[in-house]
Amino acid sequence: MRIVGTSINRVDGVKKVTGALKYVDDIKFHGMLYVAVKRSPYPHARILEVDTKGAEALEGVKAVITGQDVPNRAGLYLEDKTFLATDKVRYKGEAVAAVAAETKEIAEAALAYIRVDYEELPAVTNAVEGLKSEAPLVHPDLGQYKWGPIFFPEPGTNISNHYKIRKGDIEKGFEEADYIVENSFYVPHIQHCPIENHSAIAQMDADGSITLWASCQSPYAVRKALSVAFDLPLNKLRVISPAVGGGFGGKAGTTLEGIVIPLAKKTKGRPVKLTYSREDEFVNSFVRQGMHATIKTGIRKDGKISAVKNTFIWDGGAYTEYGVNIVRAGGYASTGPYDIPNVWTDSICVYTNHPVGGPYRGFGMSEIHFAIEQNIDMLAEKIGMSPIEIRKINGLRPGGKNATGQIVDVCGLQECLEDVAKHIDFNRKESGSQPHKVRGKGIACGYKAPSMPNDVASSAIIKMNEDGSFHLLVSAQDIGQGSDTVLIQMAAEALSIPPQKITIKTGDTDYTPYEWQTVASRITYCAGNAVLKACEDIKEQLLELAQLRLGVSKRDLVLKDEYVVSKIIPGKGVAMKELALGLSMADGSGIHGPIIGRGAFIPPNVRNTDKQTGQGEKPVAFWTYGCQGVEIEVDIETGKIDVLKVASCFDVGKVINPKLVEGQVEGGIVQGLGSALFEELILENGIAKNPSFVDYKIPTADDMPEMIINFVENPEETGPYGARGVGEPCMVPAAPAIANAVYDAIGIRMNSLPITAEKVLKALKEKSSVL
Amino acid sequence: MNGTVKKRKAGVDGVKNFEYYKPKSLEEARELLLKYGEEASILNGGTDLIVRIHDGLSHPKAVIDIKGIEGLSEITYDEVDGLTIGACVTLNQMGENPVLLEKFRVLAEAGHTVGSCQVRNRATMAGNIANASPLADTATPLLALDAMVKVFGEEGETEVSIHDFFVWVRKTCLQVGDIVTGIRIPNYGSIEGIYQKHTRRNEVDLATVCATVIKIDGEVHIALGSVAPTPIRARKTEAFLKGKVLTEEVIEEAIEMVLGEIAPIGDIRASKDYREEIVKVLIRRGLRELIAAM
Repeated sequence: MRIVGTSINRVDGVKKVTGALKYVDDIKFHGMLYVAVKRSPYPHARILEVDTKGAEALEGVKAVITGQDVPNRAGLYLEDKTFLATDKVRYKGEAVAAVAAETKEIAEAALAYIRVDYEELPAVTNAVEGLKSEAPLVHPDLGQYKWGPIFFPEPGTNISNHYKIRKGDIEKGFEEADYIVENSFYVPHIQHCPIENHSAIAQMDADGSITLWASCQSPYAVRKALSVAFDLPLNKLRVISPAVGGGFGGKAGTTLEGIVIPLAKKTKGRPVKLTYSREDEFVNSFVRQGMHATIKTGIRKDGKISAVKNTFIWDGGAYTEYGVNIVRAGGYASTGPYDIPNVWTDSICVYTNHPVGGPYRGFGMSEIHFAIEQNIDMLAEKIGMSPIEIRKINGLRPGGKNATGQIVDVCGLQECLEDVAKHIDFNRKESGSQPHKVRGKGIACGYKAPSMPNDVASSAIIKMNEDGSFHLLVSAQDIGQGSDTVLIQMAAEALSIPPQKITIKTGDTDYTPYEWQTVASRITYCAGNAVLKACEDIKEQLLELAQLRLGVSKRDLVLKDEYVVSKIIPGKGVAMKELALGLSMADGSGIHGPIIGRGAFIPPNVRNTDKQTGQGEKPVAFWTYGCQGVEIEVDIETGKIDVLKVASCFDVGKVINPKLVEGQVEGGIVQGLGSALFEELILENGIAKNPSFVDYKIPTADDMPEMIINFVENPEETGPYGARGVGEPCMVPAAPAIANAVYDAIGIRMNSLPITAEKVLKALKEKSSVL
Repeated sequence: MNGTVKKRKAGVDGVKNFEYYKPKSLEEARELLLKYGEEASILNGGTDLIVRIHDGLSHPKAVIDIKGIEGLSEITYDEVDGLTIGACVTLNQMGENPVLLEKFRVLAEAGHTVGSCQVRNRATMAGNIANASPLADTATPLLALDAMVKVFGEEGETEVSIHDFFVWVRKTCLQVGDIVTGIRIPNYGSIEGIYQKHTRRNEVDLATVCATVIKIDGEVHIALGSVAPTPIRARKTEAFLKGKVLTEEVIEEAIEMVLGEIAPIGDIRASKDYREEIVKVLIRRGLRELIAAM
């Protein structure tokens, strides 16, 4: 291969670094109106009355909406939300009314003229408490909502999904164990913090159709959710995602889009824009769900884990339309990448009066692995085994069985483990750089599958131009991960043309073909397969025409360097561009017409698991396995942790673009580092205490460790060129590896994130007072 | 809605509307400040004021930009008066000044930890102290260096000791109409020691605790931030250390003494206990640095 596997530059790079790329908030229309949103001051309250007359009477105010304007429930997996609150508010910050006005200032000032009367209700501010029978119900009408067949809400409770794994015989497994250990962990809410805030503009045409410009990862999923919410036929709703400045899951579903559309319907053709502030991002877009984990494990003296019982209680927030699937993923992946014969898992999504939990890079895997990977180290210590050895013994291998009973086909976990142990020099103890500093090393494995419905679809269109250049049309969105570039690379390879000859167009539901969503580390795999199929389609057409032109059987023809050439007769061939509009015959007639390839893809043979046991032969499209090791230094006087070095190795099947995939992994490591050391959306009585970068810290350039990034390439049989996704998996082991390194350095288990300096110092003091 | 109905205007007194003035002289600026009284805010670098207006914490009717006034953007030095830093000198300009770097390095170091590089391109030391945050990064070196704040007020240009300048959280001794025109640091024979700032994240963060521990012409000066309603000097500890050789025993005694001079609070950044622990560490490290410097 000449193009796949090389580090061509990002095709969107120049536009991004020069600032030429236009994001949604850069778009300005004549006559555009600006939106401000009236939000709930309470975590849980009944809305008694909303009086908008005062705001409507203001000069410059063009429309005001309340929940009564958007009564339909919508949601991706469980239709539990309305875009503005109707009967109740369920988190502090929930939209109650919205104003469109001539200027942002007028819109904001108008909010003071909207009167909302509330009756405060007791709130659920802890997921574990929310499970109790006496807990207030966040969604008393849950039983009337619609949901997908793979989810298990329990109406009459706060449980919106209860996913179970029942594998083997759990009691027998514990009986076989020499030791039984139980450990608990907590992962707090965090936020994605993309560099670009959410932004959306809606405009209604004279015929009633709506155009929406939104910074979104998934234009088609957004179109579908909005069509349900607003009773709009899909051909009357166009969603354009011009560019996305970072998503990390936060722009996967719908958030503010549902606010601008009803306003646009009331403003007679004037475009209506809403851009979130950074403070809105923290509370009013998605957050990563909090999670309480308890893991009870049975282990034999020889290191083999015989049984594991997991309870994962997820703090789903006010609406779990998306979150229920995170909980499902956390359930079917609940053993981590280990072969454990007896498994019992309850993964439970609980409604709380917290900000809305939603997709966040890792989709549950970072949360469960923080618990699983520390638990593995604790088990190793219990039986006097090294963290490497216990992972070698229990880690998945081809032929092994995962939590769902699926037989593992391809799995480079053991190779990744070896590579990382070597590069972090795991067994070598280093001394601190100063007397008050100590070093530690930690390792963690991780795995992830694309968490999506079984039959999600992708498509691609590739059009040949008269000069032999191409337009590739997809709705896979480049959200920074580099999909524009790798999809071009794959098409260029398939068609044997230079990548510069392909221009990619994305994100317009009227013009680019269907893509389920840009999520789940699935684009290289799913959209890549669709692109390859579209290229196959083009190739078939070109060979058909070339066979007529050249008089050579098409099975002896091949695409090579922009020509269709004979495999047998040297020099016999035709330039592909000559066939772009079809074939001109000797008598002046023509046949076929323009060359357009179409490709469609659904991951093959992915089937539902058993409802009672969660067991199934192929519950996901593929698994991505990997490992990370870290070296840290702890200041034992202040508790401050510096991450010095990270070694990473993932089995990606096939590296399509080395530079881009390294960048992906670096980003994953650093995002994991942030979640490990700094990040927590602090919620007190349902109220976020740090919704800004003043007191919510993410890593800066100064926090970057040395990173050694390697890959293993065991091809994915169904993947394009053997590739599988790694965008999310590469974040998963980072935080637990750091936690394990903390233990190695100071002998203290940090059971909750983030591992702040203050927590470390407090634990050190407690430890020394015990000794 | 009916087009014939006369609509009310929203935001006539909008929270973010204000008159902007850019006077050319101190006199003109003072006149404007007196005219608007409590409803005027001075705009210098703007890195605090604009954020406060944006967040709805400040609602000035008039914003008086002092950057158009001549003579406020210079750094001057002479052996008699010492170093004078004009009110409009940015923190990044300070960080590039050779005299500051050579003779008053501790101040340059502290200034370099304020905000981000972009913030320091606009922010000034005068603004940093006039904001009177208990954790202002430049406050502790100024306290330790016995700086003088130059104020243009009722009696023309006068000097106020930095020790009288901070009154309470976000409150200085400045009266309505007063304008800080610069900060003067007296000349000293020798200054040794360091500024330390403990933060949650290494860069672009507010101090959990900050401290300047220096020796000026043989005398130890200790100043701390984020441990009391204003940045403070640890006078009792300094008196205790006077004339003593800095041994480990003396240092440990000094640390205990410092704890008696502070009153930290617990907040979202750190608990009271943690602040006290960090104070101990910073004082110990600061004093040890002085031993090393000898």
